[in-house]
Amino acid sequence: MERLLLEILCCPVCRGELELRDAEEAEGEIMSGTLVCLGCGERYPITDGIPNMLPPDQRNGG
Amino acid sequence: MAGDVREQFGQAAAAYATFSYHASGPDLPVIIEAAGLTGAETVLDLGTGAGHTAMACARHAARVVAVDVTPEMLAAAADLAASRRIGNIEFQEADAAHLPFEDGVFDAVTCRVAAHHFADVRRVIDEVRRVLRPGGRFVLADTVAPEDAKADTFLNTIEYLRDPSHVRDYRGSEWLRMLRAAGFEAEMVYRMVLALDGADWAARQRTPPEKVAMIRHLFAEAPPALRAAFELRDAPWGFSQPIAVIRAVRA
Repeated sequence: MERLLLEILCCPVCRGELELRDAEEAEGEIMSGTLVCLGCGERYPITDGIPNMLPPDQRNGG
Repeated sequence: MAGDVREQFGQAAAAYATFSYHASGPDLPVIIEAAGLTGAETVLDLGTGAGHTAMACARHAARVVAVDVTPEMLAAAADLAASRRIGNIEFQEADAAHLPFEDGVFDAVTCRVAAHHFADVRRVIDEVRRVLRPGGRFVLADTVAPEDAKADTFLNTIEYLRDPSHVRDYRGSEWLRMLRAAGFEAEMVYRMVLALDGADWAARQRTPPEKVAMIRHLFAEAPPALRAAFELRDAPWGFSQPIAVIRAVRA
C-alpha cells in the first residue's frame, strides 16, 4: 500500500479520518500496520501490504 | 452477506485467474473506452476478483484502487499484477456497500462480473455516486437477465443453484432505472452473448453434483422459448449468457 492512498481513505463505518500506526515500510510501500479511525476508534489492519477496510461486522465471514 | 461471497470465491480464486472470458473478454476494451480513460485518471474497480479489469484499466489510468471482499482473490490478483510488472494498482479488502473513501475522489468506477453478488445493490450505487467526482463515470459489466419474466426467473434460478452467493442478474431495464433514480445518466453501450460449457461453468464454482443434476433437470424440462433464449445445448451440455456493459455518468 502506498502512502498516497492515505489521502483518499476514510473509515467505512463513520467516514472519519484515519491515522496510520505501527507502520512497517519496504521500498516505499506500507507492508503492515494499523489504520485507526480518529472518529469512532475502529481499527483496520494492513497485512502483506493489503489493508482490510471491511466494516468490523463483515470480517471473518460475518 | 459478504461472508457468503468470501467463502464461495476463496476456493474459486485459482479457477477465475485462468478463465479466458474473465482474462480477455471482448467487453474489456469497451469498458476502458466507456470509462473515458486517458492515462490521467484515478479509478476504483469494485469486486476485482482475479484483477483482470483493474489490470486492463491500469494501462490507461494513473492509478487503480482494486477492492474485493475475498482475501484469496486479492492475493491472486496482486501476484498476477506483480508478475506482469503492473505497479499502479492498490489492492484492498473493502465492501462495495461501505466504501472506505472520501467523497468525489475517483474519476471512474468499474465493476465487471461482480454486481450480481451485491446484497444491497442500491446502496452500492449510492456509494459509487458518492466517491465519484461530478462528471465521473461508473462502468458496469455483468450478466443481464432477459426482459421476459420467465427467462429472467430461469437464468437466476440456475445461477443460484450453481453458486449460493449469487443474488441477482438484473435486467438491463432495471439497471438503467436504478442508476437514473440515483442521479446518473445511464445507457447500455454494449451487449454480447457468452457461450458457456456447462461442466466448466459448474466446476469453477465447485457446484456439488446434486445441484448440477437439478440444473440439468431444469434444462431438460425447458420449453422451446427458454431453449432458444439461452441456446441450451445437450452434448456437451451448456448454454449462452447475455452480458451487457452500461455506462453511467454522475450528474
